[in-house]
Amino acid sequence: MPSLQWPDGSTTRALLVAALVALAGCRGSDRGATSAVKLDGGVPVGAVLALTGNANVYGQDQKVGLNLAQQEINGAGGIAGRPLKLTIEDGGSDEAGANAAMTLQINRGVLAVVGPTLSQQAFSADPIAQRRGMPVVGPSNTATGIPEIGSFISRVSAQSSEIAPLSIGMALKLQPNLKRAAVFYAQDDAYGTAETVIFQKALAEKGLKPVTVQRTQINDLDFQNQITAALNLKPDLVVLSLQAVDGGNLIRQLRELGYRGLIVVGNGMNTPNIYPICQRHCDGILIAQAYSPELATPANQAFIKRFQASQGGAIPPQLTAQAYTALQVIAEALQRLEKRQPLAGADLGQTRRSLMQEILGGTYQTPLGEIRFTPEGEVIQKQFYVARVKMNPTGNGGRFELLP
Amino acid sequence: MDNLLQILFNGLSVGAVYALFALGYTLVFSVLGVINFAHGAVFTLGAYFTYLLLGGAVGSNGLLAGAQLPEGLPFWVALVLAGLGCALVSVGLEAVAFGPLRRRQAEPLLSLITSLGAGVVLVNLIQILMGAEGYALPAGSLGQLPVTLELGGARVRTIQVVLMLVSALVLVLLTLWLERSRGGKALQAVAEDATTARLLGIDSDAMIQLCFAVSGFLAGLSGGLVGLSLSITGPYFGIGYGLKALGVLVLGGLGSVPGAVLAGLIVGLAEALVPGEWSGYKDAVAFAFLFGMLLLRPQGLLGRAVVTKV
Repeated sequence: MPSLQWPDGSTTRALLVAALVALAGCRGSDRGATSAVKLDGGVPVGAVLALTGNANVYGQDQKVGLNLAQQEINGAGGIAGRPLKLTIEDGGSDEAGANAAMTLQINRGVLAVVGPTLSQQAFSADPIAQRRGMPVVGPSNTATGIPEIGSFISRVSAQSSEIAPLSIGMALKLQPNLKRAAVFYAQDDAYGTAETVIFQKALAEKGLKPVTVQRTQINDLDFQNQITAALNLKPDLVVLSLQAVDGGNLIRQLRELGYRGLIVVGNGMNTPNIYPICQRHCDGILIAQAYSPELATPANQAFIKRFQASQGGAIPPQLTAQAYTALQVIAEALQRLEKRQPLAGADLGQTRRSLMQEILGGTYQTPLGEIRFTPEGEVIQKQFYVARVKMNPTGNGGRFELLP
Repeated sequence: MDNLLQILFNGLSVGAVYALFALGYTLVFSVLGVINFAHGAVFTLGAYFTYLLLGGAVGSNGLLAGAQLPEGLPFWVALVLAGLGCALVSVGLEAVAFGPLRRRQAEPLLSLITSLGAGVVLVNLIQILMGAEGYALPAGSLGQLPVTLELGGARVRTIQVVLMLVSALVLVLLTLWLERSRGGKALQAVAEDATTARLLGIDSDAMIQLCFAVSGFLAGLSGGLVGLSLSITGPYFGIGYGLKALGVLVLGGLGSVPGAVLAGLIVGLAEALVPGEWSGYKDAVAFAFLFGMLLLRPQGLLGRAVVTKV
């Protein structure tokens, strides 16, 4: 009869000792919260981004924004003369990766974390940060309930309920006779499930009860089933709460299967990375945005200039602007904190708590416009926009064209 | 009736992709008795090769940013060349991830892990070189063929009909090769017993490399076709198909070529039968179906029952 092969007694003991040492190490890292702030090489700030996995297109955009902000901050003298030392960890595109990256950043002794990229990841990793007293600034989490995770959690990405209904209003403004909306959302994604509720509420308020609600999964690529089922009901408006990759694919298949009506998409598709996927079929889709390159404030113009210098004249996407803003917020809060309470030699746990208070207490002139926070960590932003994707004739590139 | 026809086409078109993918798995399993987890990465590579050979430019995030062939090739030429490129890569993977362990007669589980590792490395290499962004193959790649076809009231995209036809063609050619050619028979002999085959004068190592080459070619071919159908959604493009194709492989009967195709189509149809509103749960339905089938027939649909002598 087959049986499990256990190591001999001595090896087992060695493994037990190793496990105990590892556990002790874990406890030791928790005690790190009572150790001193380490400023070797600069003021440590971390980021947890989706650089690999299906959401990597977002993480890549965000990395550009963080690097630009770091250059800007350090070029202007850093944090009271010390450079801001940014460490980016790849959190992958799932919860486990984000949890591991968040834990690594906490144990490393950073003072605050930007990230994680996805709302789905934030619901898993932010509670870890909350328990360990780590200030978090979410750059792209729009699902309902993120700041409510705890007192150390904030975000610069306005929640879907603020933005998403604007695009439904714009669709009706462009085509007042819309009657039949078909809704698609990814049921295994916190962002998608939160945003579709908001979209469906906005549709109902405008008298546009959906004729069908089609559920997908975040890693789906082939949507023929859902699309043909929806098209049989003759919709004149399609509303998507999907991520960039699956959403781009769905739009392409939707158009190829003959749908010619309006398409409204949510924040998950708020990136130029959709262009290579749906190509010419992206043309005309409507999207509400929290960032506009056309915002004529000094902070935004300076950001655009820096972005274009580093990216060959391209137009900055929202995710890059939001990531830039997140690091800017942390840096400005650190500068204010340093004036009140020198960072060198300060208690790490206390410094993190004080930094969180500084983050929430400030007003910031950012590429997104002027922003502040509620005491719970929710961003207060003044301007939102609705854009229409305008693809160039070859279908190889495009832009988000602001609508009045 | 129209609706039933639509469901049938939807199911067959998705099933054809699963079947093509699973055929590569099946070939390697039938010879070595292990699952080649790098197959999904080779499939992904096939899609990228096809894109580049069509004259597509590399985006801005990879080390090869901006790189582009001076002139693109016609789609079918690019597809076949991509398949050949993948065949070479697959043979290379055999040499690195499988060969050394096989020669040491290591446990099959070790080969499975090394193939998984090789696949992850390959996917990350793609990301380093090509960047994370998605790519779409040019819309006019199929020449003058219309984008969508109306067949008896059902709407289906032309590329999906092409995928069904290619899947059927590959099944026929592969079966003919395995049953009628000397190479195919030699491969079957190696699959039966590599040592005995060697004693009969068959170069087992060469046959195993040939098996990987054919498997890699099929992966490249299906990667290019699926890339045209759905766009290349990033370096992790093939991973999702891997798990589903694994189920298809088991359902069809481990190592059975027609079984893989039949099971692919059945899983595709099972998914298509899930109503649109509930299609977010189609994987659960497909795998529940798989589970039920295996309870009734553990050796798979067309697999051979293992007879144990006591």
